[in-house]
Amino acid sequence: MKAGALLLKMIHIVYMSRAVRPLSDQDLQALLDQCRRDNAARNVTGVLFYSHGNIAQLIEGEAEVLEPLFDVISRDGRHSNVVKLVDKPIAARSFEDWSMAFHPLEPSGFEALQGFLLPQHVPPPPSTLSIADAMLVDLVRLAVFGADAAPTESEPAHA
Amino acid sequence: MREQQLQDVLRRIPAGVATLQGEALRFGFVNEAMQLVLGSPVQEGQPVAEHPGTIPTDLLEVMQQVFQSGRPYVAKAYCIPLPGTDGEKPTPRYFDIALEPVREGDAPVSGLLLFAVDVTVQEEARQRAHQLSIETRRLDTRLRVLTETVPQITFTVDAAGKYEYVSPQWYYFTGQPPTADLNAIWPLLIHPDDRLRVLYQSDSARAAGIGWSYEYRLRRHDGQYRWLLSRALPELHAPDQAVFWHGALTEIHDQRELAEALRRGEAELRFLADSIPELIWTATAEGFIDYYNEYTAEYSGLTKDELGPTGWINLLDPSEQAGAARRWVQSIASGQPYEGLFRMRRHDGRYRWHIIRARQLADERGPRWFGACTDVDDQHRLREVLQTQYDELARTNRDLDTFVYTASHDLKQPVLNLRGLFEELRRSASFDDPQESQIVHMVDEALGQLDATLQELAATVQDQRGLSAPVETLDLRSVADEVLLGLRAQVQESDAVVELDFSAAPTLIYGRANLRSILHNLFSNALKFADPGRPPHIVVRSALTESGQPILTVQDNGLGMELPGRPAPVFQPFARQHPHIAGAGVGMYLVQRIVASRGGHLDVTSTVGQGTTFTVYWFEA
Repeated sequence: MKAGALLLKMIHIVYMSRAVRPLSDQDLQALLDQCRRDNAARNVTGVLFYSHGNIAQLIEGEAEVLEPLFDVISRDGRHSNVVKLVDKPIAARSFEDWSMAFHPLEPSGFEALQGFLLPQHVPPPPSTLSIADAMLVDLVRLAVFGADAAPTESEPAHA
Repeated sequence: MREQQLQDVLRRIPAGVATLQGEALRFGFVNEAMQLVLGSPVQEGQPVAEHPGTIPTDLLEVMQQVFQSGRPYVAKAYCIPLPGTDGEKPTPRYFDIALEPVREGDAPVSGLLLFAVDVTVQEEARQRAHQLSIETRRLDTRLRVLTETVPQITFTVDAAGKYEYVSPQWYYFTGQPPTADLNAIWPLLIHPDDRLRVLYQSDSARAAGIGWSYEYRLRRHDGQYRWLLSRALPELHAPDQAVFWHGALTEIHDQRELAEALRRGEAELRFLADSIPELIWTATAEGFIDYYNEYTAEYSGLTKDELGPTGWINLLDPSEQAGAARRWVQSIASGQPYEGLFRMRRHDGRYRWHIIRARQLADERGPRWFGACTDVDDQHRLREVLQTQYDELARTNRDLDTFVYTASHDLKQPVLNLRGLFEELRRSASFDDPQESQIVHMVDEALGQLDATLQELAATVQDQRGLSAPVETLDLRSVADEVLLGLRAQVQESDAVVELDFSAAPTLIYGRANLRSILHNLFSNALKFADPGRPPHIVVRSALTESGQPILTVQDNGLGMELPGRPAPVFQPFARQHPHIAGAGVGMYLVQRIVASRGGHLDVTSTVGQGTTFTVYWFEA
């Protein structure tokens, strides 16, 4: 990390939304490619969950980048009912890069893709998040994927 | 020449012209247009009646009558169908037919002039118009029936605000006579509180040429004011030029009352929730808090936004946050009620014990969660104090029992000695006075009673406390853990670290109650005489001496004590090293007695200000 980056105010934003129409494998792959490219360029990290039209995303980065980015996201015609759950300063990033977790209809082609995760392989929230924020991520994951895809009974990082 | 020209003109004009001559009305001149009207070729001199073509009988009769009366006649839009060829239907054609009698001077009528102008197109248009007007009347009737049977009052207002039409429902509703002056009466029937607003709103809508939708109260025939919804749309005759507004009044009184009741009910519930001195909150199906009552803000010193959808976790004691969060996620996933006892931070930074409970409500609006945090701090602290006092009492009780036991045991020997000495005295001394001999007997009896009492006392306590229980192989760690569990309040309170290391000699063959009593006294001593400047650090080790005998050391970092010259007995009952610290002063004495009674001894080293180490030699005197 550059020395100057430390001086910039870092924030993270968590939101949930509904896709206007169900996203196909092609849509999801296109979204994955586009977001990874754009987010890498803007130095935005985080994770996006998608399942059966439910969307939740955590993004973290500099406030000057993230706030306009969220404005663009909330106006995106591909989803609606955007509810912002959290928007607050953080001391440091908790995610190394940006990734996306969903159930593709044809999982074979996706396993190898950069930044793709099967929902059951999503790691528990990093311990750098406060417990309240980690719980928020657990709850949005539960809301998107349902109780069946909840993390296995292994002890979370905070136990 | 002119005759010829005239004939040409007559032949070519687009109206049918023919002359009929004589009483028999024989065809004379027939132009081309008339040929088409008549349909089949016409022979000059042929009587009209004998023409095989299209002339209907009633027209023939009229021709006869015009010939006879000499009065001209015009038949308007008279139908002469064109016969269909090959069995097709005849095509209707309409003509204005003029019948003009011909006479020269006053002579009788000699023939007829027949003109036929084709008016088929006009006639068809007229017939269509007629049908349209029938249809319009039908629609109009239907509209009227509809407007007069729907429950709404319908109306039409012109640009000046004058009522052009109002459906009869208005009269039924208001109870006004049909003769009432609508424009004068209507405003008077509007509720005084709504009147000005309604008049202004409709006026400005008309001025802007737009529709309106507003609610107001109108007086019903029984004098009651009822809420109505007035909606109207403009009828535009040119763009931006509205001429009429058509609209309807719908009674919405009941809906409005219901909505008002719901609003009131919700406001009352919210007021109730805000008035309760408990933390009350609701959460969405996903588990995000969407409402905190006012007391929550008051207690935590944080606003709803500062708390956020999961911020309540931050109020908990840090050591309890992870467990509380995990259980909340589990409850959301399973729908099971949530319940837990947690310390919650107050605005002043103090933590108070709360029971947090939440239950899921599932109805047609989807699942939601309702939760409350009840302050049980006072109860909890009271219980803790009671528990500590109970533990203390139980321990004192046990110590006293042990004390009685050891004391009775210790007294046995002096009583035995006394008895021996007394026997010796009785044998060597002589008592002449029979009274003295009686006294000797009484002393003997008293000594016997004392001995029996001591034995009974020891036996009773032994039975009660299990001190006489046979020895067994004991796991040092499990007994030590059991004892520490009893002392957990003191351990937590003083932040003590207790290190247990029984690897060198994990088991001991001893009486269970005895071992427990010894460990209890040693541990509580170490905790009690801690240096206030540092948290207690107690190291407990088992070991074997060179001769293979088991020992136990308990080392603390407490206040330490001044030891009188060794090997003088350190522990006398009620001798207290630290008078400022509470305690009955019998603890270490008992330890020493128990150890000694089993054939061992207790050793101690201590440095004031650094700590004390007790060593129990279980079986080495």
